Amino acid sequence: MLFQNLAFNLKSKIDMIQLENLTKRYGRLAAVDSLNIDVRPGEVFGFLGPNGAGKTTTIRVMMGILKPTSGRAIMGGYDIEKEPEKAKAIIGYVPDRPAIYEKLSGAEFLNFVGKLHHMGGEQIDRRIPELLECFELLEWRDELVESYSHGMKQRLVLCASLIHEPKILVVDEPMVGIDPKGARTLKDLFLSLAKKGTTIFLSTHSIGVAEEVCERVGIIHKGKLIASGTMAELLQLAKVEEGKLESVFLELTRDGASS
Amino acid sequence: MSTLVVLLSPLFLSWKNELWLRRENGWLRSLIVLFLGFAFWVATFWIVRRVLLYFQTVHELGPALAYQLLLIVLLTFLSMLLFSNLITALSAFFLARDLDLVLSAPTPLSSFFYSRLITTTLNSSWMVLFFSLPIFAAYAAVFGGGIRFYAWVALVLPLFLIIPAALGVLVTQLLVYFLPARRIRDILFFVGLFAFIIFYLFFRFSQPERLVQPETFGHFLEFLAAMETPSSPYLPSSWSAEIFASALFKKPVDLWFFYPLLLSYALFFPLLACWVSSAVYLTGWSKAQESRQGRHHSYLLDRVIRGATSFFPETLKAIMIKDIKTFLRDTTQWSQLFLLLALVVVYLYNFKVLPIERSPIPSSTLRTVVSFTNLALAGFVLSAVAVRFAFPAISLEGKAFWILQTAPISLRQLLWSKFWLNLVPLLFLGELLVFLSNLLLRVPTWMMTLSLITIFLMTFGITAIAVGVGALYPKFDYDHAAEISTGFGGMICMIFSIGFIGLTVMIEAWPVYLLTVQKFDPGAVARSPWLLVPSLVMIFVLTAAAVVFPIKLGLNKLESMRA
Repeated sequence: MLFQNLAFNLKSKIDMIQLENLTKRYGRLAAVDSLNIDVRPGEVFGFLGPNGAGKTTTIRVMMGILKPTSGRAIMGGYDIEKEPEKAKAIIGYVPDRPAIYEKLSGAEFLNFVGKLHHMGGEQIDRRIPELLECFELLEWRDELVESYSHGMKQRLVLCASLIHEPKILVVDEPMVGIDPKGARTLKDLFLSLAKKGTTIFLSTHSIGVAEEVCERVGIIHKGKLIASGTMAELLQLAKVEEGKLESVFLELTRDGASS
Repeated sequence: MSTLVVLLSPLFLSWKNELWLRRENGWLRSLIVLFLGFAFWVATFWIVRRVLLYFQTVHELGPALAYQLLLIVLLTFLSMLLFSNLITALSAFFLARDLDLVLSAPTPLSSFFYSRLITTTLNSSWMVLFFSLPIFAAYAAVFGGGIRFYAWVALVLPLFLIIPAALGVLVTQLLVYFLPARRIRDILFFVGLFAFIIFYLFFRFSQPERLVQPETFGHFLEFLAAMETPSSPYLPSSWSAEIFASALFKKPVDLWFFYPLLLSYALFFPLLACWVSSAVYLTGWSKAQESRQGRHHSYLLDRVIRGATSFFPETLKAIMIKDIKTFLRDTTQWSQLFLLLALVVVYLYNFKVLPIERSPIPSSTLRTVVSFTNLALAGFVLSAVAVRFAFPAISLEGKAFWILQTAPISLRQLLWSKFWLNLVPLLFLGELLVFLSNLLLRVPTWMMTLSLITIFLMTFGITAIAVGVGALYPKFDYDHAAEISTGFGGMICMIFSIGFIGLTVMIEAWPVYLLTVQKFDPGAVARSPWLLVPSLVMIFVLTAAAVVFPIKLGLNKLESMRA
């Protein structure tokens, strides 16, 4: 019993996301260069960077869509390369430009994703209306996805990413195509999920979102992690007087800035 | 004019880049395509030349027959052009991805219109141009048309291509004005397919082969007498045929009437299409943005699909259900089943009309020989069907492939789910074709058994080759499902399949030969059908390799996409 408790305590302290010297090269270009990031359970980690900095590539490696050139991505204790199925089973993923099956209805799509995650029929039947209700899609459940607007598709993909109640949620640019009300709902959702223990890895170039939701922020520039820490730590690092993340971001990603 | 050039530049630049900035191994691909294109040209030229030479042996009637054939060919081209222009115009004017960009730019509507008309004409006409040139060359070679004929071809063809293109654009504009665009594509596809099937069945059941059999000549003369003039004198195909006939067969034709007639239509239709377009296009375009589908929930269908896939594990079942539903809801996909049905009917009809009794070889022997050849033929049909339906299995995931990539399932499971899903209908089709054709041929029991077992094994190999090679050459970015199998990968898949079928048939050929010819030698020891067992074992091993190897190749490719 004692050992079980000890093991549990140890496990809960293990970082849910560990990127160890993660590198992804395309020929001579290093899209991601020796990235080291740790994210604790229940933490919302903001992954910031200008366009083309390597955010999406990092996420695609974390999700097992791309193979790293070197280094490891350990998700919930599972190496995504060595135990991809176990790792993927505990992750929910929202890509930046989500394409989904246009000829399925919203409910059928969620049912399909639930089955892919080995969920039972009853569990799926319970989760679908719950999620559709939460994202205001319930009345559209039997409509084909092809008739959804961009924002609705985005919300449906969010539903799909949460259907199996993942321990880790990886979100790439969540606010693209979402209206202000939807954005508010989404930010509240991230905070409430984190409160319940879900680890969230949020890639964005929206500084406002990062400031509002993230406990810690990592800034990536030209494939390298140039800064990481809480807001206070970043302000100190960038030697910026005013307490705004935007100034930190602009200062650190300025070409020629000392990192 | 300069706006027109700018608007057309993406098309020409894409062509240029496609030609010069080839990917790795692109030269090999180009070489194979070039070789196949050349082989196709030579084959078409040779066949048409043979037919025309045969016509010439028919005393006095050669040019008349050749003229009738030319009329049929041009009419077929015209109908193909009209239909393909309708579809292409719909894409170019209402569904293309760059429309938002182009229409929001400060370009005059007329430049936009003419640039799209040119794009439509080029995109839908190159195929007809490619098919037609060896045919014209064969005519020139047989009837000695010379420079004069080629000059007329060069003068007539552009007009012949522009008329259906402008007409297609005109009809499309009007259709979209009254109906939403996405629906129209479905409807057009359906109508076109239906028209093709009717044309195909009509052509087959009319038994054109009878026309060249001497015993039907009396009937044919009557037929020709009724066809001295073009059957449809108001069509551009007939005017073009008249012009060509004057150069080829020295037919007395009033060229000063037919050519200006053709030219006036080629100028009038684009102008008319432009006028109509400027009046209705923007309304149609904005309507096309609003088109929506209705609600979808069919409990009965769900239950049937669930029942049919109940033998499989949950994850495989989920993928299969998703694939079946997607297939049934995509009109451009399921409507091709009609084509399949037409193919089966014509296929079996061929066996019914086979003149086996007229052959000098004993009919029972001939039946076995035909039945054995039929195995290869059925395999070929299955390959063609597999290339159309099973080959795109992975590609059809399209841009939504990320869902499966990030789900906790292995790519191996994914490939096998595609394999099983396609195997069942192909197996049904293969067994049906072979069983019914053997029934019509009245073959001995051993041949029937052998055929059914062989086609059973063959289907496993053919399906795996299609699914595996489909994964090896995936095309996730497509506009239309039908275009997935028309590329290089589809060709490789067909080559692999034919190789596999060829090997299978070769393995069985010797024992089947021994069993068939024993009737010619009554004194010889009677051979038992058990003679076939070793070759069946070999085919089993070959099939296992044909299943494992392509699936493995496909799997490696999908894995390597992560690199």
